[in-house]
Amino acid sequence: MSALTVLADGDFVAPGPSIFNFPPLWPGAPEWATKPVLFAMVGALLVVALGWSAFAKPKLVPRGMQNIGELGYLFVRDQVARPFLGKDAERWMPLLVPIFFLVFAWNLMGVIPGIQFPIASHIAFPVVLALAIYVIKLYLGIKHQGFGGYIKNLFPSGLPKPVYIILVPLELLQNFVTAPFTHAVRLFANMFAGHMILAFFSAVGFWFLFENLTPLGAPIGVLGVVMAILMTGFEIFIQYLQAFLFTLLAAMYIGASLHPDH
Amino acid sequence: MSVLAEVSGNVTAIGYGLAAIGPGIGVGIIFGQGVQAIARQPEAYGLIRQNMLLGFVLTEALALLGLVAPFIFQAI
Amino acid sequence: MSEQRKPEEDGRDFANAAWSIPSYLVAGMLAYGGIGWLLGRWLGVEAFFPIGIVFGAVLAVYVVYVKYGR
Repeated sequence: MSALTVLADGDFVAPGPSIFNFPPLWPGAPEWATKPVLFAMVGALLVVALGWSAFAKPKLVPRGMQNIGELGYLFVRDQVARPFLGKDAERWMPLLVPIFFLVFAWNLMGVIPGIQFPIASHIAFPVVLALAIYVIKLYLGIKHQGFGGYIKNLFPSGLPKPVYIILVPLELLQNFVTAPFTHAVRLFANMFAGHMILAFFSAVGFWFLFENLTPLGAPIGVLGVVMAILMTGFEIFIQYLQAFLFTLLAAMYIGASLHPDH
Repeated sequence: MSVLAEVSGNVTAIGYGLAAIGPGIGVGIIFGQGVQAIARQPEAYGLIRQNMLLGFVLTEALALLGLVAPFIFQAI
Repeated sequence: MSEQRKPEEDGRDFANAAWSIPSYLVAGMLAYGGIGWLLGRWLGVEAFFPIGIVFGAVLAVYVVYVKYGR
């Protein structure tokens, strides 16, 4: 018996990680055809539609969708691409803009009523994006610095020889394993935790106000609803921030492969 | 005596939650004060940057040690 | 860091450093924790695993200091 159940009859069950498991969309559907997969594809199509309607027939004086598209393009170019890629920024915009819009669309689905599931909280989706960036990073690094040069540039210069021996496992693991891992996990963990917070406060509100209304439990239910609303606002901010950071890190890895100055 | 509240589930999660408080505050202080210092004295940027990174890496190490502490104490 | 660098290059280096610090720490702990764990299994000394983790964390702090802090 926990403290919460004193206030109302019955057991309040806090939502667990099982809220991330979905059955197939319709009976007899293949096992992978679940809600996250469907909305991942919807998000991708949305980004394509946005890009198409904004930039298919660009006009000198932007109107309608072109305004939104240019706003996003300028944001990515000035905040992400130019600081990290310098004069190569324009070349990599076709990669960075869709990544930003795709991740942002996937994240925003966490707060859109009726969908309410941030796609990136299934780790497979951010991992695929991060792996794509990782392959590009390795390819560019080896192309621009040569294989030996790429490995050599990982290590700081000017240390005594024996120190390099103990640095080898650390640097190799950092560059080839944990850098892409943290890239994906930052997005995944934020979306996972945010969805859990929203689910928890919504469940508190729903349980204490609708399923089990008691005079003692009602204030907690009101608190749950208020917190759910506040956290939804906070979550929109986090979703935008994580989409921005994912794009920023992608630009950072590409830039570090293009201009090795360490 | 009736039990009013009890902890069920994995206790190490609570441990990591507690261990993350200190580094969280620390990282906030480091970057907050660092940005303030750069705003006050932009010409000392290089020096402030170095010390900010050093403080950040030391604080972050504590947070990550908190993350692996359950495994460490399992092994001993 | 030399004097003739542009401010945006400084900012790029700083962001580079700040974002790769956590992955350095994780990599250090993983590498030397793993080596310590294997050594411990091989030699039958269980204390090598925590020693390796702490050594890896210290080494990662040192690497970050050498690469970005000087």
